[in-house]
Amino acid sequence: MHIKKYLLKCLHRLQKGPGYTYKELLVWYCDNTNTHGPKRIICEGPKKKAMWFVLTLLFTSLVCWQWGVFIRTYLSWEVSVSLSIGFKAMDFPAVTICNTSPFQYSKVKHLLKDLDELMEAVLERILGPELSHVNATRALNLTIWNHMPLVFINEQNPHHPVVLDLFEDNYNGSASSSPAPGRTCSAHECKVAMRLCSHNGTMCNFRNFSSATQAVTEWYTLQATNIFAQVPNQELVAMGYPAERLILACLFGAEPCNYRNFTPIFDPDYGNCYIFNWGMTEKALPSANPGAEFGLKLILDMGQEDYVPFLTSTAGARLMLHEQMSYPFIKEEGIFAMSGMETSIGVLVDKLERKGEPYSQCTVNGSDVPIRNLYSDYNTTYSIQACIRSCFQDHMIHNCSCGHYLYPLPRGEKYCNNQEFPDWAYCYSALRMSLAQRETCIDVCKESCNDTQYKMTISMAVWPSEASEDWIFHVLSQERDQSTNITLNRKGIIKLNIYFQEYNYRTIEESAANNIVWLLSNLGGQFGFWMGGSVLCLIEFGEIIIDFVWITIIRLVALAKSLRQRRTRARYDGPPPTVAELVEAHTNFGFQPDTATHGPDARPHPHEQTPPIPGTPPPNYDSLRLQPLDVIESDNEGDAI
Amino acid sequence: MAAGEKIKAKIKKNLPVRGPQAPTIKELMRWYCLNTNTHGCRRIVVSRGRLRRLLWILFTLTAVALIFWQCALLISSFYTVSVSIKVHFQKLDFPAVTICNINPYRYSAVRDLLADLEQETRGTLKTLYGFSEITSRKRREAESWSSAREGTGSTFLNLVPLLAFEKGETSKATDFRTGRKRKVSGRIIHKSSDVMHVHESKEVVGFQLCSNDTSSCAVYTFSSGVNAIQEWYKLHYMNIMAQVSPEKKINMSYSAEELLVTCFFDGESCDARNFTRFHHPMYGNCYTFNKGENETILSTSMGGSEYGLQVILYINEEEYNPFLVSSTGAKVIVHRQDEYPFIEDVGTEIETAMATSIGMHLTESFKLSEPYSRCTEDWSDVLIKNIYNATYSLQICLHSCFQAKMVEKCGCAQFNQPLPQGVNYCNYQQHPNWMYCYYELHQDFVREELGCQSMCKEACSFKEWTLTTSLAQWPSEVSEKWLLSVLTWDQGQIKKKLNKTDLAKLLIFYKDLNQRSIVESPANSIEMLLSNIGGQLGLWMSCSIVCVIEIIEVFFIDSLSIVARHQWHKAKEWWARRQASTCPEAPPSPQGQDNLGLDVDDDLPTFTSALCLPPAPGGQVPGTPPPRYNTLRLDRTFSRQLTDTEVPAES
Repeated sequence: MHIKKYLLKCLHRLQKGPGYTYKELLVWYCDNTNTHGPKRIICEGPKKKAMWFVLTLLFTSLVCWQWGVFIRTYLSWEVSVSLSIGFKAMDFPAVTICNTSPFQYSKVKHLLKDLDELMEAVLERILGPELSHVNATRALNLTIWNHMPLVFINEQNPHHPVVLDLFEDNYNGSASSSPAPGRTCSAHECKVAMRLCSHNGTMCNFRNFSSATQAVTEWYTLQATNIFAQVPNQELVAMGYPAERLILACLFGAEPCNYRNFTPIFDPDYGNCYIFNWGMTEKALPSANPGAEFGLKLILDMGQEDYVPFLTSTAGARLMLHEQMSYPFIKEEGIFAMSGMETSIGVLVDKLERKGEPYSQCTVNGSDVPIRNLYSDYNTTYSIQACIRSCFQDHMIHNCSCGHYLYPLPRGEKYCNNQEFPDWAYCYSALRMSLAQRETCIDVCKESCNDTQYKMTISMAVWPSEASEDWIFHVLSQERDQSTNITLNRKGIIKLNIYFQEYNYRTIEESAANNIVWLLSNLGGQFGFWMGGSVLCLIEFGEIIIDFVWITIIRLVALAKSLRQRRTRARYDGPPPTVAELVEAHTNFGFQPDTATHGPDARPHPHEQTPPIPGTPPPNYDSLRLQPLDVIESDNEGDAI
Repeated sequence: MAAGEKIKAKIKKNLPVRGPQAPTIKELMRWYCLNTNTHGCRRIVVSRGRLRRLLWILFTLTAVALIFWQCALLISSFYTVSVSIKVHFQKLDFPAVTICNINPYRYSAVRDLLADLEQETRGTLKTLYGFSEITSRKRREAESWSSAREGTGSTFLNLVPLLAFEKGETSKATDFRTGRKRKVSGRIIHKSSDVMHVHESKEVVGFQLCSNDTSSCAVYTFSSGVNAIQEWYKLHYMNIMAQVSPEKKINMSYSAEELLVTCFFDGESCDARNFTRFHHPMYGNCYTFNKGENETILSTSMGGSEYGLQVILYINEEEYNPFLVSSTGAKVIVHRQDEYPFIEDVGTEIETAMATSIGMHLTESFKLSEPYSRCTEDWSDVLIKNIYNATYSLQICLHSCFQAKMVEKCGCAQFNQPLPQGVNYCNYQQHPNWMYCYYELHQDFVREELGCQSMCKEACSFKEWTLTTSLAQWPSEVSEKWLLSVLTWDQGQIKKKLNKTDLAKLLIFYKDLNQRSIVESPANSIEMLLSNIGGQLGLWMSCSIVCVIEIIEVFFIDSLSIVARHQWHKAKEWWARRQASTCPEAPPSPQGQDNLGLDVDDDLPTFTSALCLPPAPGGQVPGTPPPRYNTLRLDRTFSRQLTDTEVPAES
């Protein structure tokens, strides 16, 4: 009973809104709200009233529209970019150095012997075939040849190309195997192509080349890949250039360093590569001053005499600057340094720092990329190059069931070679040419959020100078080989200077363009601009809505009540309700405005309207209220307290 | 008249004129301050005490001033841009790569045309520097051939004489042809620079150019004979070449098959058919890879040298023109497919017997055009006619502009640039003194006096490839032997064995597929501006656009109408007084009808509405009606008494 009373009280208090009818409520709201428009609606003449009403509506819709625009802008997660340029003490980049020739020819000769002989025979056949000479002198190992033979394609008759094997006289593919003159072709008539077969030679493809140079180079590279794939890694490392042979002198800033400061890494393309300042085991070395004096100075010897003749035609060093802990993709991003030259490289660190999701599509550490990173064995950070290569190797293993020699091997897989996987070359070249494969890889791999590039300013000068040549070679030979003979020459020696430029960094940093503060201030600005409103006005509006709902509820309840009453009245057909009854009804539903009870009643039952209310009429609240507002307000306050 | 009255009445009925909220300006102000939505004004009125009121007036005015200042700042900074840098990793379109031999034409082919010129150049060298004969040249046959024709007239030196000036005396010069000293009139222009005069050199070499009537001459001097002779040679060379038909020129230059020994792109072979010929006046036949001829632009989906373009070029040094070019190699330029390659202005030179590896990074820039910055999307808003068959770029515009001026001033077109319609290239058969004209014009162009620089705008969007060039020895010692012989076989056309100094290897590739785009976007949108202004208005005065409308209403419409009414009333009174004074028997004007004051009074808002009291729906309260101030006010004109009565009602 007590609770009910309390609830009733609460109910009364709650419903004690600023008005009992919608109209009153609206008028009260318009008059008392802090937004600017509505006030004018009620206190002007009829014409102006209409104008202000239209204006208010217009402004409200404008505000809503603009808010929509702002919220959409906010949800588009745009970024703004800040750029900073300057000099600061930074970690010196990791420097990877390789020789362009992966192996010392003297050490791989035994492996490549058959292949080289074959190559020489091929060259002789292409250039100027003295048939007797080739066939007589060498017993060629044709087993390697038969996996991937080179052929001449005579395209003089474009509808009926003639295919000629370089070594076999009667190749069955050519219906009109022309005799002797067909064997010798000039570049005009013939193109050299590589025949790649699978399924025991039943399905064959010709890979065409526009020049013989490319054909023989590609062919040799494929064959060599096949050979090296079968050699264990330790042996490959041993066949490459050792650090002490390659790196003759090293100076970092004022401190001397030597080949022991370099971390070796085996690159399938370039053999042994050496990384300075990789930061894997020790802390990265900082460099706090710009200029060549404070950078890295290196003297290298490429040993050009010992290059593998058919594998690489370019002589020099390959070097690359990269971030600490990142894998050097030297073939893609490296640059050449020429022998007999001093190459100076000024470095500017161009760094891009991005915000991750939802601002930009990038990955922080590659954990959310569905490709297994095969380079993680090196303990290196994620990069998109690593991802794309891992992706390729995945495809390779999936399609050809063996891994390519140039990329790391997942556990339990094998590198491709002719013995175990006779079809691999066919499969590989098909895969390599497939655009779909590359595009899927590009789509799958995500960029990493922090991207660092080293912008290089490269300049060159002849080194050593004619005058200093003698003593420099002498000293360096003495140091390396402990011999008084000069073991170095201009063909192999390289000097490198790598240093920070005067401005050594350029950082592009992303930050959210539109944050929540921006959004709020703009929403506020718009609301303020058009209507002079604030959040409190929104709360006011919400309050009015609640009142509105209240009035509706009260009306509905009254309606229901009156309906029930009418039903009971109809049943008993009693006398019309007295004033006392009506008053009772009022009190029950708490100061129900009489218009509310009368209004709905009036239309359906007009006959009922006429008899009632003898004596004093119910007080007309409206008329009472004329003396104003203040009274009601004070009343409200009084109740609220 | 009756009809007019009727209409007037009707209008009055339908459109009751509502006057301002108060009868006088002061009242109006007071009313405004009390009822306005802006803060501050109310304080002025309700504050007690003069000091406070003054302070509030001061504050309000400061706030207004601040609002004006801040809004002005906002509006003036409306057209600013914000720059965003985006990085995409994606499949990239490979750019067009144009490759030229530095030497334009095979010397054996153009020798017939240039024989006289060569001979005179040699003669000049001999007289000036005592340079007798080339001893260590490969081109023996050319030697004997030219010496056989000794003795023909020196037409070129006649046309443009080469002169040596003694130190200090610039008016006297030695003519190389005659060896006599002769007087030289005309301005001396030091070609290399106007600022740095080389005083140490014993003598200065130059040549004199005169205008048509030989009245005004200019002497161009060079600090070194090398520059002078090359420049002099070039002038004559252009003259001669201008008369040769384009077909012949193309035939004299290198063919694609000749220039390109091997070609490899993205792991696949390519050949001369993948290259588009483009004839450049100073570089002869150039070849563009991936020009996008049949709407297919090659793209790269992997970074690295293997997946880019690899070509081996045949640079035949024996066919080089000794006076026109003094370096050996090829020139490479990376550009957009629809862009014109300005090979003479930009471009990377590549050396023979070397592998030049060029790694690219793509940066795209997009600028906003007017009103944000002065750039243009295409030719539409540039007044200069495009003589190139390419999309807009600043360079093209400048060259087109220069060519147009050249045609206008000299009557013929300059040889280096394409030919506009209906004009010929300059040559001294038709335009004997074009060179003087050209030099004058060129000086003006360099000094920005032609207005080209101001007429041409930069392009709004451009692609830039940042190149990292590195060199390595190629072919290596051990591979040289086999490689050269196979390349000789590949080349096919040349019967001799190739030397490594005849070859150059070029690798152009994307280092990685990161594409940077620098995009300018408007820093402000109109809604941002409005919300910022709204923020300012709200911050200082809690004002909004509604207040602005109020201010307009009150300060302009209402006060104007008050003033107008006042004046009208005054005029009325004055008129009435005059009427009364002149003819006192005249009946007083029907006040109720014509007196505007009265008329308006009827329509004045009720006091309740003026005070913004809630409207009473059933206004008439039984019992004593509230005093109608209007009725009170009816019998007097606007007066100060009203204020007195109002104040208590207000408070």
